[in-house]
Amino acid sequence: MTSTLNRRNFLRTTAAMGLAAGFAPAMALAEDGTLGITLVLPSPLGDVGWGRALANGLEPVKAAYGDKVKVTILENIMEGPDADRIMTKSVADGSKFLIAGSFGYQNGALQIARRNADVSVLHASGFMVAPNFTPFAARNYEGTYLLGMAAAALSKSGKLGTVSAFAIPELITSINAFTLGAQAINPAAEVAVVWVNSWFDPAKEQESAKALIAQGCDVIFSNAQDTPSVVDICEKSGAYVCNLNSSMKAYAATKYLGCAATDWSPFFLEQVKAHFEGSFKGHNAFLGMAEQVEKVLDWSADIPADVMEKIKAREAGITSGEAPVFAGPIAKQDGSEGVAAGAAMKDEEIVAMDWHVKGVTTPLPN
Amino acid sequence: MNALTFVLAGMLAAAMPFLLAALGELLAERSGVMNLGIEGMMAVGAVIAFLSVHHFGTHTLGFLLAGLAGAALSLVFAWLALTLRANQVAAGLAIGILGQGLSALFGKSYESRTVAGLPKLSIPSLSEIPVVGGLFSQDAVVWLGLLATLTIWAALRFTKLGLVIRAVGENPSAARSLGYPVIAIRYSCVMFGGLMAGFAGAYAATVYTPLWADGMIAGRGWIALALVVFATWMTGRVFFGAVLFGAVSLAQLAAQAGGVNLNSQLLASLPYIVTILVLGVISSNRRLLKVNGVASLGKTYIP
Repeated sequence: MTSTLNRRNFLRTTAAMGLAAGFAPAMALAEDGTLGITLVLPSPLGDVGWGRALANGLEPVKAAYGDKVKVTILENIMEGPDADRIMTKSVADGSKFLIAGSFGYQNGALQIARRNADVSVLHASGFMVAPNFTPFAARNYEGTYLLGMAAAALSKSGKLGTVSAFAIPELITSINAFTLGAQAINPAAEVAVVWVNSWFDPAKEQESAKALIAQGCDVIFSNAQDTPSVVDICEKSGAYVCNLNSSMKAYAATKYLGCAATDWSPFFLEQVKAHFEGSFKGHNAFLGMAEQVEKVLDWSADIPADVMEKIKAREAGITSGEAPVFAGPIAKQDGSEGVAAGAAMKDEEIVAMDWHVKGVTTPLPN
Repeated sequence: MNALTFVLAGMLAAAMPFLLAALGELLAERSGVMNLGIEGMMAVGAVIAFLSVHHFGTHTLGFLLAGLAGAALSLVFAWLALTLRANQVAAGLAIGILGQGLSALFGKSYESRTVAGLPKLSIPSLSEIPVVGGLFSQDAVVWLGLLATLTIWAALRFTKLGLVIRAVGENPSAARSLGYPVIAIRYSCVMFGGLMAGFAGAYAATVYTPLWADGMIAGRGWIALALVVFATWMTGRVFFGAVLFGAVSLAQLAAQAGGVNLNSQLLASLPYIVTILVLGVISSNRRLLKVNGVASLGKTYIP
């Protein structure tokens, strides 16, 4: 039989090819036992930042399992219906391990978990738990406490500043710990806060950093900026700077104080292993230095040796659990008692923290 | 340095992305064409400028290419809206979205890279005055931007060219019967708008915030568009509005950093509120609005 390429045939052939292409991956995955891992990110994936930290966390998984896993990263996915559709599609295409990389994916990801009992879902910074749905977050405050100690040691004015995205507990906690750490070295240290009210506006973030520096802050903490906007302007303005998630030392050769970094790989490795063994179990994963997820990288060489010793001692105390960050007595911003002497905040209090400690000079937006 | 000094020193630079884009749009709208694609043209200008500065290290070339890219994109818009006579709103929106997509595509592998900004050029002695001195220490683009504002103001007000552009926007049929090539004039005005939007994007990505991040224009094109309308199509007011917006957005950050006891969400919305209030009040004069409004704005012209 000879086939002629007329219009009708052409359409028929291409449609068939399209169908085949659509089904092929799912079938291939089902047959050879490869685990499809899909990571969904809210912002474009750069060299640094939140998304990069999550993506890097999967590298050891790839190295450990080789051909047995197939990692797909979907970036710049807006939270909402679009994300639900894309996550559903990736599960339909054969992914059995989904990492939803933003708080706003919670409802969509949870529905997927409920509909597909064989899919394991990790969800960043949420609070809902289901049998196959694990929310995870890092104890960033453990790292920012140590950064605060270093910041106070290097500040001449005793005035520190932070450019922060939104006034949510996770970020408030980081600022409070930064302040407490600074006061451990210099009891008179103060921290000014500028809320950008945006997760992503590099121009505004730089303006905020300039505003803080203009008012005498000489160490800036870039709280949850995904681009080196703040780090870059601090290097150019001669102020020390530290940040979260992944190291931005490359953008501040002389003024980089350190990074409260998250290394997700121990957690991801553990969870992928659990999935393979069939023992994946939904739980609230709040991960800190004890789990080797939270760590401070790229300490500045300018930090005096005696301060560095104190930092290392406190790091050991936090890791072992003997010296938790939010151990009383801690005074609130208005002077009233936040944590009583001898007590320490519980995890559920930490994740819901909605007050500033004494020493933060900017009132909390309500 | 106190808050006032900080605001005075920074407000012109903060205003520049709005001002450059709004000036271009002003001219396009004065000729009767509403270009809603400004945001996308800024995004394309931003990425092109960033790539050129990143690779060749010269801002001059970066701005030149960014301007050309903006103008090229606006040429597509003009072709749709003027030659094919498509609906200006729909065509503008489509081109705007296209621009943002192109910008994301070109910038893909440059995410969160940084480049060097531009040095400040100071006016001797004036820039040493306390408090207000910062006003006289700005980068080259700000000085050129001020010059452009003055030139456009004078051109629209005093030259024959300005009169022709206004006539084309006011009553294209009458302008045509006088022998003016309406479509050609509109083409040039729209492309001038694209050129300026490209410059505005270049300023945002290589001078004001010298780093690349997808989506960094973050709605500034829309603010520029709104400025033109609120300024009732008058050059002086566009300038005033842009600087006011820049100043208030810096002031709210300085207020937060200084520990002012005000809700930060409210502070963050201040630039919008203040600009709308001030420009709203000065444009509440109906007679003035009628005199300055562009009669054929957004209407498809069929010769």
